[in-house]
Amino acid sequence: MAQYQNLFTTVQAVGPLHHGVPLGHGNSPRTGKVPAIVHLFGRLGNAQIGPIYLGGLGLASLILGVLAFNIIGFNMLASVNYDPIQFVRQLFWLSLEPPGPENGLGLAPLNQGGWWQIVGSFLTVSILLWWARTYRRARELGMGTHVPWAFAAAIWLFLVLGLFRPVLMGSWAEAVPFGIFPHLDWTAAFSLRYGNLFYNPFHALSIAFLYGSTLLFAMHGATILAVGRYGGEREIEQITDRGTASERAALFWRWTMGFNATMESIHRWAWWFAVLCPLTGGIGILLTGTVVDNWYLWAIKHGVAPPYPAVFPEVMDPALMNGGK
Amino acid sequence: MAMLNFEKKYRVRGGTLVGGDLFDFWVGPFYVGFFGVTTLFFTLLGTAMILWGASQGPTWNLWQISIAPPDLSYGLRFAPLMEGGLWQLITVCALGAFGSWALREVEICRKLGMGYHVPVAFSVAILAYFTLVVVRPVLLGAWGHGFPYGIFSHLDWVSNVGYQYLHFHYNPAHMLAVSFFFATTFALSLHGALVLSATNPAPGTEVKTPEHEDTFFRDIIGYSVGTLGIHRLGLFLALAAVLFSALCIVISGPFWSRGWPEWWGWWLNLPIWSQWPLT
Amino acid sequence: MNTTSRTRRWLGLAALASLTLLAACERPPMETVQHGYRGTGMVQVYNPRALVELDKANVVPEAQPPADASGPKAGAVYQNVQVLGDLSVGEFTRLMVAMTAWVSPEQGCTYCHAGANFADDSLYTKVVARKMVQMTQHINSSYKSHVKETGVTCYTCHRGQPVPKEIWFTAKSEPYGSNFMGDKAGQNTPADSVGLASLPYDPFTPYLLGAEPIRVQPQNALPISGAKGESIQRTEKTYALMEHMSSGLGVNCTYCHNSANFGGWEGGPPQRVTAWHGIRMARDVNLAYMEPLTDVFPAHRKGELGDVAKANCATCHQGAYKPLFGQSMLKDHPELAAYRPYAAAPPADAAAAPAAAEPAAPATKP
Repeated sequence: MAQYQNLFTTVQAVGPLHHGVPLGHGNSPRTGKVPAIVHLFGRLGNAQIGPIYLGGLGLASLILGVLAFNIIGFNMLASVNYDPIQFVRQLFWLSLEPPGPENGLGLAPLNQGGWWQIVGSFLTVSILLWWARTYRRARELGMGTHVPWAFAAAIWLFLVLGLFRPVLMGSWAEAVPFGIFPHLDWTAAFSLRYGNLFYNPFHALSIAFLYGSTLLFAMHGATILAVGRYGGEREIEQITDRGTASERAALFWRWTMGFNATMESIHRWAWWFAVLCPLTGGIGILLTGTVVDNWYLWAIKHGVAPPYPAVFPEVMDPALMNGGK
Repeated sequence: MAMLNFEKKYRVRGGTLVGGDLFDFWVGPFYVGFFGVTTLFFTLLGTAMILWGASQGPTWNLWQISIAPPDLSYGLRFAPLMEGGLWQLITVCALGAFGSWALREVEICRKLGMGYHVPVAFSVAILAYFTLVVVRPVLLGAWGHGFPYGIFSHLDWVSNVGYQYLHFHYNPAHMLAVSFFFATTFALSLHGALVLSATNPAPGTEVKTPEHEDTFFRDIIGYSVGTLGIHRLGLFLALAAVLFSALCIVISGPFWSRGWPEWWGWWLNLPIWSQWPLT
Repeated sequence: MNTTSRTRRWLGLAALASLTLLAACERPPMETVQHGYRGTGMVQVYNPRALVELDKANVVPEAQPPADASGPKAGAVYQNVQVLGDLSVGEFTRLMVAMTAWVSPEQGCTYCHAGANFADDSLYTKVVARKMVQMTQHINSSYKSHVKETGVTCYTCHRGQPVPKEIWFTAKSEPYGSNFMGDKAGQNTPADSVGLASLPYDPFTPYLLGAEPIRVQPQNALPISGAKGESIQRTEKTYALMEHMSSGLGVNCTYCHNSANFGGWEGGPPQRVTAWHGIRMARDVNLAYMEPLTDVFPAHRKGELGDVAKANCATCHQGAYKPLFGQSMLKDHPELAAYRPYAAAPPADAAAAPAAAEPAAPATKP
């Protein structure tokens, strides 16, 4: 007999649409008089789309962001001689590159990294404006600022990669290109150049938090769905007035692994795991090249790299024997 | 008795899959059950073997200890204990322990009247491990294709297997998996933050409502998935990350022997592009 | 479990999508070769179906029966023999026949020789061929560190074609001349030369023609103050060269490296040393033998920038870890193993055989 598993909503109740908690004065009116209902979305979550708040910060952020996006796009288009077919065909390979190493930290000629610098600054300001937007919206609704501070961790990583580290290294050439495959080439080249990033302890921590976050969301998501029949997803009410959903959820984990969170504290576990991923990741990137030049050799130095039995005949660097490269 | 103040009423008999009342009890906060016993058995045996393997190795340095799989030359046979056989036995114990843990979770769900979502989700993770140490080695014809059990040695394996395909980032399933991992972490930070921001509001104000949560996200991005939806979404994103990870490794080798960038040739050579050769 | 028809439709779609993506893939079984300590993941993966094709492409043509090494030297009998003078006429003729089969089987002798006067140098192909014989002898004598006793012959690169399948020209650095935007910076194009990655698409000019340093990893854990390390861009160029080496030899990175420590030599595979010498050999070939032929080759044989065709790893290897899978043709053609200097014989006395005054046209084998 098939049992409902709480994965997709089978019957959608469409009630009066919610126009949002009223905002205090100093806020613009919301956009989207009649919010849309999308039945497909309603199978998973809310069906309502909109209204959206379009304030000054948001608009400024969007303008700069769209401008940055377009500069990247037009550079990519120009790089295939404005051929739209080749643009689509080569899209994943195309890129807007940062300046070359010879430029140091100076302003590069437009076509040799200058556009990248412009895009970088527009994108940075756009993201910071968006951050301010999340902060302002939280404050206007009288809510805590946990979302903006989580966002700040991601912005930390973004700034490390594109600003802090290149400045510390004295070269914009160290920064990441804007392109799908090219940014992956950058990632591989970064690890190759700096002696294998797997041996960077902050990289290891960051991955632990990445996988840990995935583990936690699987655990938490599954737990809530499993107690859906007791109203488990009504987390705020469960936090302030613990019901059988929270109790069963907590006991499941207590009986399974000997300890448990509460309906509130699980969200703290979640917040910290997720935030520590970009936080430690950013630290790991920042230390690379500035403080450590070859992570494998650093690991050897600190007695962390595993030894393997020799299986090959003795090999010597031929350059040493031939007096030069 | 290590019980929470509301716990007693939930400690009822029943829900077991195997063994009836025989193992239906708790030790401290832990539920035992038949599968608790099997978990303990496999865990102790496997851990003992790891420790023994470490003792036969060159070091007790936690970062350097490594139990390596057999040479490829042993194919799918049992290898001598010190030549990879130990790895094989540990793997059997690991699978036994993980499977037991999942089934124990099922028993706990049944006892608590919960859906089976957690053990099902955990099974997806077990599937990924199973893919790495059983499915892919079988497809390639040797247990030696599994990864060594060691903190940094398993990362050396990851690195080298990646470079077997010249530039693993171009593996399309890997790209999807990584995207799902990042999306899951992103969504988790948002969900954790949102709930906390509603229940820990601006100082001196009242705890907020789900309407506030929805309004916050609608204000910012025009859509709020809602309290039930976010848990479905989070579970799906997380499971997608793991499933695509398993997919990305099982195709590397058995279903592709060249560099992963070369795989994209099918797109570049679609008849729809009229220009040839490649620029 | 009952699935609704809607669920089945989605499952069907997912199955179709997977099958489509898998259609772009290969299939098991695969052959794997371990190349390092167990569990390190240093493994070569071969598709047996592809190996069958590769085997077919690496069949060595049968050698002719050995020629008579006695008798007058080619340098004495024929005019304008500058490199192979020390061969006997029999050896010389045999080599000519072999070269025709290796390089111009359809075009025949007239691909290099203009008209009846076989000494004539008017066809560029003859001048090129002479240089190439010297090049072959140089490779086989000076680069035993790379080619060992197996050696190379014309066939190794040419494989029955006048122009080898795998050659390279210097790429135009900025295909689209706008100074305003759209600089590809020599990369970000799906180029065959780098296995369709978006890495720099001409790693050959700096590394196999020029002698730019390939190494990028520092040999010190901590930065040395004052010393500037290599850039990410240089690393990508090295990576591009390595991509080519991999696809040219049909091997992956772990053939030469343990990726835990790419830069380290100790404890690593010996193949890397062979490759190191191969790079020097390629540079030598291109600088000392190909580049000097720039004015000899006609325009239609040169690249976009007017440069001559050059060799890289794939030119000889053509997807095999050893060219022709290590089968040696050199043993049947020792005259290609090294340059044998020929000094004209001192004036013969009356008892010696009279030197032929006319160059005799060698009969072409049907």
